[in-house]
Amino acid sequence: MTLILTDEELALADSVRKFVADRSPLTSLRQLIASGEPYDAGVWKQLTAQLGLAGLTIPESYGGVGAGYSALSVALTELGGGLVASPLLACVLAAEVLLQLDDDAAKDELLPRIAGGELIATLAVASSAGGRVTAAGAGDGSVVSGAVLTGSVSPVLNGTEADVLLVPADGSDGRTVIYLVDGGADGLSRTRLTAVDHSRSLARVALAGTPGRALTGDAAAALSAAADLANLALAAESAGAMKACLDMTSAYARIRVAFGQPIGAFQAVKHRLADMEKSWELGNAALRDAARAGDEKPDRFSVAASVARVLLAGAYADAAVDTVQLHGGIGFTWEHDAHLYYKNGLSNKVLLGGPGEQLDRLADSLGI
Amino acid sequence: MSDDFRARARAWLAANAPRRAAGDDEAEAESRGQAAVLAEQKAFQAKLHAAGFAGITWPAEYGGQGLGSAEQIIWSQESRDYDLPTGAFFIGLSMPGNTLVELGTDAQKRRYLPKMLSGEEIWCQLFSEPGAGSDVASLQTSAVRDGDEWVLNGQKVWTSGAQFSDFGAILARTDPTKPKHNGISMFIVDMHAPGVTVRPLKVATGHSPFNEVFFDNVRVPADALIGEENKGWDAAVVMLRHERIAIGTMGSSRTNPLAFDSLRDLAAGLGRTDDQGVRRELAELYARGRAVQLFALLLREETQAGRLPGARGSVAKLAGSDLGRLAGNIAADVLGDQIAGFDAAELAAVTTSIIAAPGNAIAGGTSEIQRNIIGERVLGLAKDPGVDRSTPFNQLRVGTQRQQ
Repeated sequence: MTLILTDEELALADSVRKFVADRSPLTSLRQLIASGEPYDAGVWKQLTAQLGLAGLTIPESYGGVGAGYSALSVALTELGGGLVASPLLACVLAAEVLLQLDDDAAKDELLPRIAGGELIATLAVASSAGGRVTAAGAGDGSVVSGAVLTGSVSPVLNGTEADVLLVPADGSDGRTVIYLVDGGADGLSRTRLTAVDHSRSLARVALAGTPGRALTGDAAAALSAAADLANLALAAESAGAMKACLDMTSAYARIRVAFGQPIGAFQAVKHRLADMEKSWELGNAALRDAARAGDEKPDRFSVAASVARVLLAGAYADAAVDTVQLHGGIGFTWEHDAHLYYKNGLSNKVLLGGPGEQLDRLADSLGI
Repeated sequence: MSDDFRARARAWLAANAPRRAAGDDEAEAESRGQAAVLAEQKAFQAKLHAAGFAGITWPAEYGGQGLGSAEQIIWSQESRDYDLPTGAFFIGLSMPGNTLVELGTDAQKRRYLPKMLSGEEIWCQLFSEPGAGSDVASLQTSAVRDGDEWVLNGQKVWTSGAQFSDFGAILARTDPTKPKHNGISMFIVDMHAPGVTVRPLKVATGHSPFNEVFFDNVRVPADALIGEENKGWDAAVVMLRHERIAIGTMGSSRTNPLAFDSLRDLAAGLGRTDDQGVRRELAELYARGRAVQLFALLLREETQAGRLPGARGSVAKLAGSDLGRLAGNIAADVLGDQIAGFDAAELAAVTTSIIAAPGNAIAGGTSEIQRNIIGERVLGLAKDPGVDRSTPFNQLRVGTQRQQ
């Protein structure tokens, strides 16, 4: 296992980076903010049909690329650096749950369409405070093919745009089963939330007697695997975005002059940037380890992904605030990009389990 | 080939290397006597060298193994769980040793490197002075040419291991008419030469890991110059780079009282693991410690792939110091009021490590100096406007040249 990127990964990073620069620069995020669209459908089509990103972690037998977690982390790092709005994370997590379950019919039906970018799927989970769904008609230990779901979950990634939702729900016996819910199902309401991060579309998903098809397999194991992958994915996006902050702010400190010197000459500025560089290097090393573990050392993946997430979530959020601060007044304007990263950093830190929850989970894994 | 090396290293370590309980060299030296500890370390280093595990990347003609950084990485991985009794050689091998490999003459390498590796001769590094710490280029120790020799006069401080060293690498001013960085040279000095006086310095822990060293008309031969005359700063930069990488990538062995495993066990023993705050702190310590290890590994892989770490060694040094400080704070939280008063030896060892933790952020270049290096050489930020960089040293009236 080596941490440094392979030639194939460098090539993938390069092509995604070029794509972001050409097709989804930060100016296009500003267009989305103005239009209210959750993401650019043309960009999503190219990310999936042309670059194959939705199928990176889906095996070839289900129409994916089967490139693995490290390839995904490389692509997400570049997309995160450019704050590219897309339902990729939602689809990747939903696909992971399907892959972990043993419901072959659902896999055959859904995975090829997710891989091809034709179907937007999402996993209706949030942090532990984000609400629960209960299932009626299920339970008594007997396997049932369907149930009626009631409850509410928020915030759910791309909940409004999803064609299908995977909804974990507790039966009367306390057992959690994952249900497949169609976007047009009766009693399903999706409300787009005001997302602090302009690049993320989030929804409250409410179910009132909504029919769901029970998926067979170990729901707890599948959700745990999705939580690990979410940690890797959010760490990767944060690493890319943090690097963008570091580069942007270093560049500014080299050219902005005050008191007759470029401001980077002053230790008050220089030392903050040095700390940002240090935190990025440490987070990046942890990210590389988690990505490799995902592909090569599955028994280490959960802890490694938690480590990467814990480090990068905090480091990026801090770096984004420092980016605003070190740019001074201009960094606090709407026109400057610093606030886009600041908001993304706030959101990435807490989505699908914030720092406290991550540390509690890590402590459990480490036998503390 | 690498698999062979790994298997050989693993087998040798299992058969020869002790897995010792926690303890530091100074504390051990005080309880068992310096001579006994040193004799054990010299014997072990000789065995290590004979078995082919010392100087792994050094050329074979100078006693090294002539292998690549792949084998060095393997050795670091395999030896991590052992506490190798080689502390007396750490500085010599990683700093003056690596610098001689890079800059030494063929004669110097033949004379000194093999005996460094076999443990016959111990080395120290003599840079800092009472008036020249972070600003080491303002040093006042002088070397004046006298025929075929140089005559050294001055005082050095914070010299680890000087009390048992045979040789030292010393920085001295050889031309005070040049600006401060341009009139310095580096020499090999015999620590047993007449005029060398070593006195221990007692630090905050109560131990004496450092010394102050006085040079009073100490004569060194002309061929003791490392690198070129008045290019000592360049040699110092090479050595400091090796120092940062060595310190930053030293890793923390599992027997370190402030390592995650030690503190988790301590917390469990004190019944502190029910406290959510302590649990979270320990989990965070694990994450940060792991990242420091992984970054060191990443740097080594990059080196192996032909991308030299350069100033990013300072990131490793800074990160290691920060980690030590965090671990010290967390250890104090784990101990709670037990740190204020204790009678168990185990708690004494942890407390000593907590007291020692801030030292890591000073030794080998302070964290502030590391941040300057990272800012200037990694991020390309402007240098601090120094008033003393271009003036001939003997015309300066600031710093160590200030007139009273």
